[in-house]
Amino acid sequence: MIVEYQAGHGILHRAHPFTNLTLVGSVAVLAFVLPAPGGPLVLGAALVTLAIAAGLVRILLPAAVVVAPFWGFLLLIHGLLGGEPLRALTFGGRIGTMVLGFLMLLVTIHPARLVDALVARRVPFAFAYLLSATLQAVPRLRDRGRQILEAQRCRGLRVRGSLFRRIGAIVPLTVPLVLGALAEVDDRAMALESRGGGRAVRRTPLDPPVDTMADRSARWVMAVGTLVAVLLQVLK
Amino acid sequence: MSVLLDRLTFRYSGGLEPALSDVCAEFRPREVTLVTGQLGAGCSTLLLAIAGLAPRSTGGDREGEVLTLGHDPASPVGTAALAGRIGLLFPTPWTQLSGMAFTVWDEVAFGPANLGWERGRIAQAVVQALALLDVNHLAGRDPRSLSGGELQRVMLAAVVAMEPSVCLLDEPVQELDPEGARAVYDLLPRLADQGTVILASTDIDRAITVTDRIVVMERGHLVADGAPDDVLATAHVVRSGLSTTIATLGHRAGCPGPFPLTVEAAVARYSL
Amino acid sequence: MTNLTMTMSPHLLALIPLAVGINLALGQIAAVTHLPLFLDTVGTVLVACLVGTWAALATGFFSQLVFTVVSGNFTWLWFLPVQLAVAAYAGLAAHVGVFRRPWLTLIAGLGLGLLAASMSWPISFFVFGGVTGGGATVFVALLRGMGLTLGWAVYLGGLVADLLDKTVTLLLVRTILVSAPARMAARFPGARRTIGEA
Repeated sequence: MIVEYQAGHGILHRAHPFTNLTLVGSVAVLAFVLPAPGGPLVLGAALVTLAIAAGLVRILLPAAVVVAPFWGFLLLIHGLLGGEPLRALTFGGRIGTMVLGFLMLLVTIHPARLVDALVARRVPFAFAYLLSATLQAVPRLRDRGRQILEAQRCRGLRVRGSLFRRIGAIVPLTVPLVLGALAEVDDRAMALESRGGGRAVRRTPLDPPVDTMADRSARWVMAVGTLVAVLLQVLK
Repeated sequence: MSVLLDRLTFRYSGGLEPALSDVCAEFRPREVTLVTGQLGAGCSTLLLAIAGLAPRSTGGDREGEVLTLGHDPASPVGTAALAGRIGLLFPTPWTQLSGMAFTVWDEVAFGPANLGWERGRIAQAVVQALALLDVNHLAGRDPRSLSGGELQRVMLAAVVAMEPSVCLLDEPVQELDPEGARAVYDLLPRLADQGTVILASTDIDRAITVTDRIVVMERGHLVADGAPDDVLATAHVVRSGLSTTIATLGHRAGCPGPFPLTVEAAVARYSL
Repeated sequence: MTNLTMTMSPHLLALIPLAVGINLALGQIAAVTHLPLFLDTVGTVLVACLVGTWAALATGFFSQLVFTVVSGNFTWLWFLPVQLAVAAYAGLAAHVGVFRRPWLTLIAGLGLGLLAASMSWPISFFVFGGVTGGGATVFVALLRGMGLTLGWAVYLGGLVADLLDKTVTLLLVRTILVSAPARMAARFPGARRTIGEA
């Protein structure tokens, strides 16, 4: 993961996860609705300011790393080849704003608290479960993929060379990973069932985040503000 | 009676031989029973059948009767009635990780939370279970970062936290060092105070010290059932390799049976 | 999605995270071979074959979500409709029996490539100005430099990559289904049926 949750005491860390989600959702919509290229750029500058105020300076570099190839290609395709630098600026502003907002979300919301917030709102167990379990399964299977790659290389598999050799390497690299994962399904299903996973009873959220009046107000303001901006754009 | 098996036969789909054949047995509260046998004898399947997971989750065909705490655990009614009352520990602790917990504390609380308990009751059960397994110090760790032995103790704590009436433990010390294994075995009589404990293990030497009764399985058939001294001390069982090291030693040394099973029993028998 | 997730069995709850993990892990393996392949829908197509369309849709949904989170690149989330379309197409393809013969699987793979490219194109073009920040964009820039309009350059760039990737994906899933041991296949309703052995 390029950015993970990091504990903190800034304004976004204290906010309810749904408030941060609403913020990023609004930003993603506004980036397309506000008049370009000024709108997205101002929005981006506002987000950078918020990130600094919320004690999240450390995410600016990863954000730049994600955005850099986009900006490079935009400059090449629209600016140099297309002769439309303003277009490059518009798309660049939109992409930068969305990427930064999303990273602010990742670094301030602990997945466990998001899951608790969902459970507290009576979101079905399976949805909350899958959100968390998929996130945990990915690094495990990637590790196993690397182990299989090493093991097959030790057994003489060549993953470089001619096109046919490389295509031929796909099967011995992928089939063991997939069959190994499928072999685990039964054990995991039984363990989950024996621990009450997916029962009809409503799960108790272990440590649900507090949803304050300020959180709820902020969400309303952002949602209504975004809706108004969309309507104005549609009516124009 | 907490578990009753009557002429239980179970066949996995795609399997040629039945995994369990005509098994009849009863398991009582306040009793620790060791189920043992060679690999493929049907010990694990027996636990799954008692929990109802075979055939409900594994698929396959079951014949005969299984009554766990008065219910058929594989039926929809039984499943609902028995939720949270049967604790099951699998031999591979990493496949038991909930996937929903980012700390050991949350991992142990996963089961109780799914049962819809009040937060206060969950906290109490988790604290007790962590203390019982001596894993308090791991409470804040990410369960995915634990060693096999730590994880096995945490997963046993997760089973204990659900306060089950029937505890089914499949090779619970496979990942543990001798000291950790000793601690888990010492815990079993305390678990039995609250219900029935059925342990499937080939670690007979150590398990024998806490079990009240032994059930020996062979290719799906129940071939012996009784007190450890009655079942494991005969020359026939010792020859089949399903007894303790001490008994095997006695047999190889040409001593007359019945053979002592533990060091203490051997000292009492052979000391001059 | 709500209705679906309320009725999921523990078996499905165990399978979907593993399938999502397969999607993301295989993408990493594909990168090692330096082939222009993503292989990031193998898990989704596999679930479509083993269980069915709804489970595949859930796999596609969570794959795209987690892929976005892991990469930290929010732009991926916009391609969620493509993952869902791949899931729906794979469910239908498994249902009508295209995995029974390798040549049928190959044709279905080309069809899936066409579908995926046709769905990615408008997102890539209108939302991101034809740029995705990945290797395919180099190809787009090349086509653009050769004098093609941006729209065609984006579409053709995506099409070539998707035709190859989706064909390999479907053939790979067929290989997996054929090589699955009997006892494992018996645990999934669609495993043998999909390849016409039941």
